[in-house]
Amino acid sequence: MEFDWTEDQQAFRQTIRDFLGANLPDDWENFSEHGPASPALTAFAREFCVKLAEAGLLFPHWPREMGGEGLGPWEQQILSEEMWIAGEPRGGQYMNVNWIGPTLERYGSDEQKARYLAPITRGESLWCQGFSEPDAGSDLASLRTRAVFTEGNYVINGQKIWTSYAGLADTCFLLTRTSDDRKKGITIFLVPMDTPGITVRQIPSLIGEGDIHEVFFDDVTVPESARFGDEGQAWEIIAYSLRNERLGIPRFVLARAALDRAVAMLKQAGDFGGEAVRIEAARCAALCEAAGTANYAVVQKRVDGLSIGAESSSARYATVMAERAVCEFVVEFVPEALAGAAPYLKMHHQRGIVAGVAAGSAEIQLNIIASEVLELPREPR
Amino acid sequence: MKLSLSEDQSQILDFVDTLTKPFASVPMHDVSLALSSDALDAELVEGGFLDVMAEEELGPVTAALVVERLARLPFAVEAAASALVRHAVDPELPRPLCLVEEGRLRKPVRFLKEGATVLVVGASGVRSFTASAEMIRPAQEDTLYAYPVAFLTELPDALTSHDVEAAEILRCWRLALAAEASGLLAAALQSVVTYTSERKQFGRPLATFQGLRHRLAEDQVMTNSVYWLAMRAAGTGDQGDAALAALHAQEAAKRVCYDYHQFLGGMGMTLEHPLHLWTYRLKLLTAELGGRGAQALAAADALWE
Ligand SMILES: Cc1cc2nc3c(=O)[nH]c(=O)nc-3n(C[C@H](O)[C@H](O)[C@H](O)COP(=O)(O)OP(=O)(O)OC[C@H]3O[C@@H](n4cnc5c(N)ncnc54)[C@H](O)[C@@H]3O)c2cc1C
Repeated sequence: MEFDWTEDQQAFRQTIRDFLGANLPDDWENFSEHGPASPALTAFAREFCVKLAEAGLLFPHWPREMGGEGLGPWEQQILSEEMWIAGEPRGGQYMNVNWIGPTLERYGSDEQKARYLAPITRGESLWCQGFSEPDAGSDLASLRTRAVFTEGNYVINGQKIWTSYAGLADTCFLLTRTSDDRKKGITIFLVPMDTPGITVRQIPSLIGEGDIHEVFFDDVTVPESARFGDEGQAWEIIAYSLRNERLGIPRFVLARAALDRAVAMLKQAGDFGGEAVRIEAARCAALCEAAGTANYAVVQKRVDGLSIGAESSSARYATVMAERAVCEFVVEFVPEALAGAAPYLKMHHQRGIVAGVAAGSAEIQLNIIASEVLELPREPR
Repeated sequence: MKLSLSEDQSQILDFVDTLTKPFASVPMHDVSLALSSDALDAELVEGGFLDVMAEEELGPVTAALVVERLARLPFAVEAAASALVRHAVDPELPRPLCLVEEGRLRKPVRFLKEGATVLVVGASGVRSFTASAEMIRPAQEDTLYAYPVAFLTELPDALTSHDVEAAEILRCWRLALAAEASGLLAAALQSVVTYTSERKQFGRPLATFQGLRHRLAEDQVMTNSVYWLAMRAAGTGDQGDAALAALHAQEAAKRVCYDYHQFLGGMGMTLEHPLHLWTYRLKLLTAELGGRGAQALAAADALWE
């Protein structure tokens, strides 16, 4: 085992840091408090990602056939870490390069690839992910938004909720129901957000502006060519997408950075002398590092080409524990941070509190660990 | 030992419930981070509910009961300090009463506004002053804590010293914290019980999943025991009891805030469900008086030194 980054990896990280240093504005820390989905950050990301693309840093982990540099999972991890710790200046475009692009490449029609891949690679497009519905959250397979084939088109009716970026996205990666079979009746459409019949309502939230939305589909008519893959193929395709996005966001690096900031503030105020605060800070650090190693163990499996199972749930839950601890530490010892005194810590708080809910809740990860790692008998349904 | 309410206490709580009825639910489509009401405040003052401590036959337990009940409201009201701390200093102090730890000016101060009385407690004793506009820096507009908060930029040159031990005021403060937290915990629990009983996933109410049931049941145990420790601290007037009550309240707050937002799923991130009005108040209470570690040390001192 080797716990240091190689020289090449360190150089790669430095390249990204240099790029960020040169391309983030001086007041970036205040700016990044606008959430990744806010109008301000989305507008910023549209310029920033174009520059990232020009510098070869938008999708260096993609294979060469797709125009990437063919770098491996460790480099993708390093890129994600540096972006997230900086407050995610790519806004919602991180989804494009992590899973939407590779999924388009694998399952898209020639027309879809031609239409959607180029703007992604130029750093110009913003997608949203229309999966969850009011009655289909953890139980995603019960989704009800219908797509009906009539006269050569599909007509879509239904409602999505919690859709990040929906207010500003160009295209929705939309899950619909085309037949009653729970999982095999689900079909994906790539739907331009300016299609008539789509209404977006922003949901006021604790986590900043522009993040979560309701999206209504009223007789939204799309051509057959908007269907992504075959009818009923959605579940298989999402499984593939998730393989590319198993770990999701490397939250533990931001949690650790926030913890270090909080401690620095306490030291500055002369309030880091007591045992209680020091013990609590160290506990948080242990949880952050535990989450980090759990995540890296999953990356290693990708590097080795092994299939990834429930260990990604384990890493996700370890991350939730770290996020929770750091959010609580900041509130308990540096409460002023959430009232305007430390934008970076507030930014962390607003992103940290969703760790146990967004992209599959913590309790569902526990169920997966129980069933698949411990192989416990399942709860009767 | 008699742990049931006296007739007077039951009656007062009934009065409180009647008076606060119009404030018991969140106005439709109110999506603000904090919610407060001058009208409610005025009615409480007029009804004398913040002064029950001074009535001999009522006293601190009744005051704690009133504070607990008021904290359940979605509207934040400065009741705890006024009802449980003010009388130990000077019953004539103008409200709102803002409690500040000496040397901790960096922290946000609840209910701070021009004309408020600021009570500074610490090594220099117990001192107060009336806040003027130039000493106040507003908090960021979208501050997450569901209380009105602001920052003190400085202390005035002259403060009024009060002839009371800082330790006694800290005791009252811990009691106030625990009584308020107790009501917040109860209201938050109730809202989550309702939500998880109604919301269905996988064809059944969330509350039927044992993973959630057990955590909710433990949260109930914590909530209930914070109530009793707070009432005992009010009843005994003991330093150790107050520290234990505050410690338990802060431990409970830390734990349930996480659970409750989890159990609401995406809904727990919105301002459309009132949960945050209780949890984000509880969160700020976990920061008072140095947090859990400091409460634990105070309790250990009181119990065994
Ligand atoms: C910030 C944010 C951004 C999001 N972005 C998107 C997006 O862009 N696109 C999209 O489609 N969705 C998005 N989501 C939705 C997210 O995927 C869902 O919130 C998540 O799947 C949980 O669903 P829910 O909110 O309906 O909660 P519910 O499913 O109602 O769950 C509520 C609680 O019950 C628990 N629970 C549920 N089932 C069980 C069980 N069987 N056993 C034990 N406990 C259980 C859950 O763990 C949770 O604690 C986002 C959510 C958030 C918070």
